[in-house]
Parts: sequence; structure tokens; C-alpha cells
Amino acid sequence: MNNSRRHFLAHGAAGLSLLGGFSSFARAGLDKAQILVIGGGFGGATAAKYLRLFSNNTANVILIEPNASFLSCPMSNFVVAGMRSMADITSPYDSLTKHHGIKLIRDSVSAIDPDKKTVKLSSGSVIGYDKVVLSPGISLMTNSIEGLAKANQAGVTLQAWKAGPETLMLYKQLAAMHDGGVFAISIPEAPYRCPPGPYERASLVANYLKQHKPKSKVLILDANQDITSKGALFKKAWSEQYSGLIEYLPSHNVTGVDPKTKTLRFEVQDDVRADVLNVLPAMSAGEIAIKTGLANANGRWVNVDFLNFEATATRDIHVLGDAIQTAPLMPKSGHMANQHAKVAAAAIIAQLNDWPINPAPVVNNTCYSFVSEQAAVHIASVHQYDAQAKTFKSVPGAGGLSSEPSNTEASYAWGWAHNIWADTLA
Amino acid sequence: MKSLAYSVLLFASLSSSCWAQISTADQLDQQGLAATCANCHGTNGKGLPNASIPLISQLSSEELLAQLLAYKSGNRAGTLMPQLTKGYTDAQLESIANQLGQKP
Repeated sequence: MNNSRRHFLAHGAAGLSLLGGFSSFARAGLDKAQILVIGGGFGGATAAKYLRLFSNNTANVILIEPNASFLSCPMSNFVVAGMRSMADITSPYDSLTKHHGIKLIRDSVSAIDPDKKTVKLSSGSVIGYDKVVLSPGISLMTNSIEGLAKANQAGVTLQAWKAGPETLMLYKQLAAMHDGGVFAISIPEAPYRCPPGPYERASLVANYLKQHKPKSKVLILDANQDITSKGALFKKAWSEQYSGLIEYLPSHNVTGVDPKTKTLRFEVQDDVRADVLNVLPAMSAGEIAIKTGLANANGRWVNVDFLNFEATATRDIHVLGDAIQTAPLMPKSGHMANQHAKVAAAAIIAQLNDWPINPAPVVNNTCYSFVSEQAAVHIASVHQYDAQAKTFKSVPGAGGLSSEPSNTEASYAWGWAHNIWADTLA
Repeated sequence: MKSLAYSVLLFASLSSSCWAQISTADQLDQQGLAATCANCHGTNGKGLPNASIPLISQLSSEELLAQLLAYKSGNRAGTLMPQLTKGYTDAQLESIANQLGQKP
């Protein structure tokens, strides 16, 4: 960061802090309230945009995000399998400023003080708030597997579960693997980010191996007792297209990793050695949510009031996306985070206008997975708010799965990706 | 009589201010509901033109509602839409069609 940028931030933050300080005594109206959105993923970026749209561009919205660009986890498995580039899953943030008047601060948040209603940035600036929308994503609990933190640091094992540099590194490891090698992916017990994601990754890596290294194998080491999403569809695709290329081992919970020998240890079963290790540990809400004391569901996830996504642990911090303790049958997906954001944004605008909050919000989920470069399957669901149970309930008889993998669904899947990226960011 | 007239006036004034407020809050609820379609069909139904997913903002509210109800009843085949429409009430589908469709 250059000096003039630092100067702007320091002064800007001081001014902003003053605004927030005044408003902490009473609820600020929509025109005065300062709304900080922390995290520019599917949840946060959508919330920032829809806070502006729902308020006819009157809400004062600041998005705090350390990355220069948005990197999409959906479709990142295409990069892992060498079928797309990082540019294909990258979108700029500046459209949110140009098209919607959202202020962007490129920084991360080191602390939130819910009592003083301030946010501290890693650069040291302090900003006051009336409302925080926190979309921190997940933390990878690398300490839950012995030796994993060191193995990850050394680059011997990769997660590539948060799209970023590791996404491309994992492809490079795959490309460097000899024909006849083993690519192992391990899956933690649910809940984790993107239930079908690991099985899609296995499918696309197998697609790559079939073309380039047909003597090789993908080994899926799943801590769960069975495939957690779209199971029958994945199994059908694997037996028809990747016979001998994919081996699925359920109830294999990784407990340790030896980076020297590239060996994984399990609770019960024999050790497994592989050439490329994609180890996904258990996950929790993003670190800042835990540090702020919001993760009151087993210390891992954030309980929220589903009418407005306010954390139950404190007022005026609304938490979205993968970090929350989800409602029954509600997956941790990018699509769902985008839907959370719209419910939260509408509720915040209503609250700041002193209007009643919508008592009956609805969200849906749509999730495509590719079983090959050309064919995809989907799972869908609709969740209506249940006032008595104070949670979202999936509607019986609605939603469902594809009948079979198809090229048509692959085409819709790419359409979905481009439209949700635009709905979130453009 | 005077007091009755006053009461009527007060009631009229209260209900009119209530109405204005509820009307706007209703509008927000309707926008929020329609926004659940935007992930796939684009913000305000204006999806990207080459994204393979049908552009719904070019339809009238009536056309849109007719198609949503046809998906829900099973009269129109599809991949996702028959499954998703079954999760919404008819009133919600009508609200979505009113919000996203082109007005005459």
C-alpha cells in the first residue's frame, strides 16, 4: 500500500468512526446509519449490492475485503482439473463501486467490538458501525489432523477449498503426477462447505486422468458413511465413465498426515499413501466470527435469527453464508449465501426504516455439479420460514435431483455461474 | 357528533399513514421475494444474454405467471423449474411475476 492510500484510509476511518460513535446511542435512520459489510464472498458482496438496491441507493454501505478480486469456489474444480484458467473464475469488485456506489476498503478485519460498535482493520484503523453484515466464510481446522498444518505450510498437502493460489497449485501437482499415480481427496464429516464439491472434484480429476494419465487413480477418502449429496448420480457416473479410475472409501476419517512419506492415517483403517494429497479438514465459521464470540453452536458455527440473520450472541451483527448454523436441510453453498444476503439486506433496510420485517421470507438452493467436462447434474430445494419453529423448513414435494447427467444441465450450470457472479458482483 | 367526526378523521388519518407505510414495506418484501430468482435469472430478471438461461424480464407479468404455474402443475416440463416452483405458494409466484414481468 502506498503512502497516499494509507493517508486516505486513516483520515477516512477517523471520519467514519465519528459517525458510528454518534449513532451508537440510538438507532440511526436509514440515511444516517453506517453499514459495514465484512467479507466479499457470495454472501457479503450480494448483501452490499442489495442493501443499495433495496434502499433505492440511499443506504451507506462499505465493503471490507482483503482480496483485489472475487474468486469463485463454484467452477474452481475446472481449474483443478486443468480445464479452465484462474481468470475464468475471477471477477472484479470495482463494479460494486461503479454501478452501486458501494465504498470498498481493501483490508481485513482484525477485531469487532460489539459493545463499542467498532471494527478494527488489520492496518490499524477503527471504524464505527450501526450495522455489520459479516460474511466470513469458513476456517479450516487444520489442527484437527495431526501434522496437517505443517504439511499444508510446506505445500505437501493442499486444500484448495478456498479458491485462490492453492487452486492452481493443486492442478500443477496433478499435472506433475506420473501416469499410474494416486490423487487422494479426503472429506471431513458433514457439515462442511459445499457438500457435493469433493465428489465433483473427484469426477473432474478422473476426467483429466482418463485423457492424460489413464493408469492413475482418484481415491476418495470420506469420513462420512456415504456420499453426502447427489450420491446415486455420482455413483452412476463413476461406474459408467470412470471404471477403475475412481475408488470410493466411506467411513475413512483422516486423523494424521506424514508429509515425508505422503501417508494418511485413519481412526480405524490401514494407512494410505498417495502421490497428490488434497486433504480437507473439518471446518468452522470464519475466524473473526469465532474471535468475536458469535460461534455459539458447538463453538464452530454462528446461530442466527433466520428472519434477519442477526447473530443470536449479539445485536446488530448479521451473519451470512457458510459460517452459520444452517437450518435443517439447508446446505452451505454459494447460492444459499447469496439468498441469505437478500433476506438480511431487506430486513436491515426495513429495520432502519422502522418498518416491520418480512415475517415470511423464502430462500431456495440450486447447486450444479459436473460429472465430466460436458455433463452436469443438479440438486434444488426451497425453504420457507416457519414462524412457530423460528427456522427455515424445506418444502416437502419441492426441490429434487436431476434424473441423469446431461449436456443441457452443463449448459445451464455455466449459465447459472455467469448469472450468479453478475447478481453478486456486477 | 363533533367527536364522532373527529374520530372518523383521526381513523382516516391513521389508516392512511399506516397504509403508506405498509405499502412500502410490502414493496420491499415483494422485491426480496423476487430476488430469490436472481441467482439464475439475473438481477431484476435481467440475466446475461448469452448465459443459456431464459431471459424472463422480456415477458409480461401475465405470461410469467402462466409459465410459473404451468411448471408448478406439471403442465410444462423442465429440469429445475418444476422442482423450484412447487416450493412457492401461488400467491408468492404471483407476487414474483408482478415484480419481474413487464407491465403493459
